[in-house]
Amino acid sequence: MENKIRISPFEDGLLIKFSGDLDSSKTLLYRNRIQKEMIKSAPRFLLFDLKDCSFIDSAGIGLILGRFNEIEKVNGACGFLNLSSYARKIIKISGLLSIMKEYQSLGSFKKEMGVIL
Amino acid sequence: MKNKMELKFAATLENESLARSSVSIFIAPLNPTLEEIGEIKTIVSEAVSNAIIHGYNFDDEKYVTLKCELNGNLLSIVVIDYGKGIKDVEEAKTPHYSTRPDLERAGMGMTIMETLSDYFEVVSVYGMGSKIIIKKELQHVDSYEGETI
Repeated sequence: MENKIRISPFEDGLLIKFSGDLDSSKTLLYRNRIQKEMIKSAPRFLLFDLKDCSFIDSAGIGLILGRFNEIEKVNGACGFLNLSSYARKIIKISGLLSIMKEYQSLGSFKKEMGVIL
Repeated sequence: MKNKMELKFAATLENESLARSSVSIFIAPLNPTLEEIGEIKTIVSEAVSNAIIHGYNFDDEKYVTLKCELNGNLLSIVVIDYGKGIKDVEEAKTPHYSTRPDLERAGMGMTIMETLSDYFEVVSVYGMGSKIIIKKELQHVDSYEGETI
């Protein structure tokens, strides 16, 4: 699978979808892409979709944690979509699941966050 | 099933995927689950990136050695670097500890490796290098194993 990132804005946030391997050869590039979008749209919410993510390690965890820290400064929140049991395990070990929750859909994330349409 | 392999590659992050793909091909005859393959790839990637980043400080003139051994359904992985070594291994194992917070890598590599493996050991001599030894039992054993031919 090709390694890719796709960032789509929604109301007050960004939906960030990773495909393929999320490893250290990609994280710097992805961080720049996400930060560029964050400067442009000043989101309060980030939702990370890992449906097509075939690999993650602490480089990927660091990328997500770094963005969480930025979103926390604006009193926002982050969440996950579509975690495989493998990805969930890595994310849980790293402690990320205690600060970011997993959601069933973009809709349920928006509902819980009270994103105004 | 018994098998062995050894791979030596330049200490550059591009070789992380070479290392983890090689190990996933090496264990393929055991028909591991997708989850097991993922876990093993993550373990290998963490160990190799530690050697490249912390052991060699990205010096691609240096080499990382990866050794794997299969004994039945027990996989042993050894990752060796002859880099700068770790001053205090216990401190390095502490969750969120990192000597390079600038790289935004969460400082969770050791914790991830330790949690995902059945046996985890770091042997390091400061100034000489580090060796990470990991053992992991795979659940899915080759279906032909034990059958008389």
